[in-house]
Amino acid sequence: MNFDQLKNEWSNEEAKRPIVSENALKIKEAHTPIDRIRKKMKSEFFIQVIALIAVAFMPRLFDLSTETKLIFVAFYALATGFTAYYFLKFYTFYKNTYNLAIDTRKNLLWFYYEMKLNIELYKALTYMLGLIGLAGFIACLFFYKGEFINTNTKNLTFLIVLVSFSSIFIVGLATEFWARHYYGKELKNIKLVIDQLDDE
Amino acid sequence: MSGPAAQPFLDLINANKGIIHKVTKMYMDNAEDQEDLFQEIVMQLWKAYPSFKGNSKFTTWMYRVALNTAIVFFKKEKRKIEKTNLTEQIEIADIDESNDKEEKLAYLYKAVQELNSIEKALIFLFLEDQSHKEIAQNLGITEVNARVKLNRTKEKLQIIIKKNGYEF
Repeated sequence: MNFDQLKNEWSNEEAKRPIVSENALKIKEAHTPIDRIRKKMKSEFFIQVIALIAVAFMPRLFDLSTETKLIFVAFYALATGFTAYYFLKFYTFYKNTYNLAIDTRKNLLWFYYEMKLNIELYKALTYMLGLIGLAGFIACLFFYKGEFINTNTKNLTFLIVLVSFSSIFIVGLATEFWARHYYGKELKNIKLVIDQLDDE
Repeated sequence: MSGPAAQPFLDLINANKGIIHKVTKMYMDNAEDQEDLFQEIVMQLWKAYPSFKGNSKFTTWMYRVALNTAIVFFKKEKRKIEKTNLTEQIEIADIDESNDKEEKLAYLYKAVQELNSIEKALIFLFLEDQSHKEIAQNLGITEVNARVKLNRTKEKLQIIIKKNGYEF
């Protein structure tokens, strides 16, 4: 195989393409893995905001005592605070531009670590919201009618420990699964290319 | 940024669209995916254009943006299923209608589909007559690594082309 000859034919190859017009610059949506993750996060942001607003109306739907309402408000404030903090971080990520004119290694590493960092942030938020939600629900349940539910101390301790551990386990598992299923593929693909570059 | 500001950019793109066209043919094996990638590269070049200060040649800057876009660009899921038949049709049509030179290039494009993203970049930059040093700078690897990788990729490519029943 004569590569020099091939090079010559390659350089003489004509691009049978129409002239690129200004319309080509009007396509707004980019398709790099970062853009796709950002787009997914944006839709999740709206879903979470709607969910948070919907949860605010829960005390009106149930006949909650004043104590239960107070517990609800405390947990709701916690959830809102964490959500606001993480959304600020996601917003920074969303607005952060990238530079494709750097070398391939730097470019791939930037994509990989930026994506990984934000997926971890996303997991942390989901994990926290899940736990706050569950803890809030359990706390409200114990005080449902304004009095502590009727159970003996030994059973109650056992119940709290059991519910806490299983909640952590379920929420952790669900978060991992969701993040991997929803965002993991892009990350895996980029890692694969980095490995190809590093492979000696 | 559009209107008159876009014209100098479009002039540069049209003068060098062959580079983008070749990148798309290296990275995608069917016409629809090639078109998607072409649009994506043009858009990424347009987005990055304000950062082009003219310290290097436009084509040097263009190679990087085009290759980096192609490397992280993943084809649409739906099309993956339809890929085989469509590719075969295009390849047969390409080969039937072409002369010897085009046939050679058609076999080359077919063979590079079996290479990974980095190997494709290496072969592309080599065919664009870049030195080992330039290839290394574009990919962010050492010159020695670029030389070793390029030699291995050339050997691999020869084997694939031979396996596909062609030799040149």
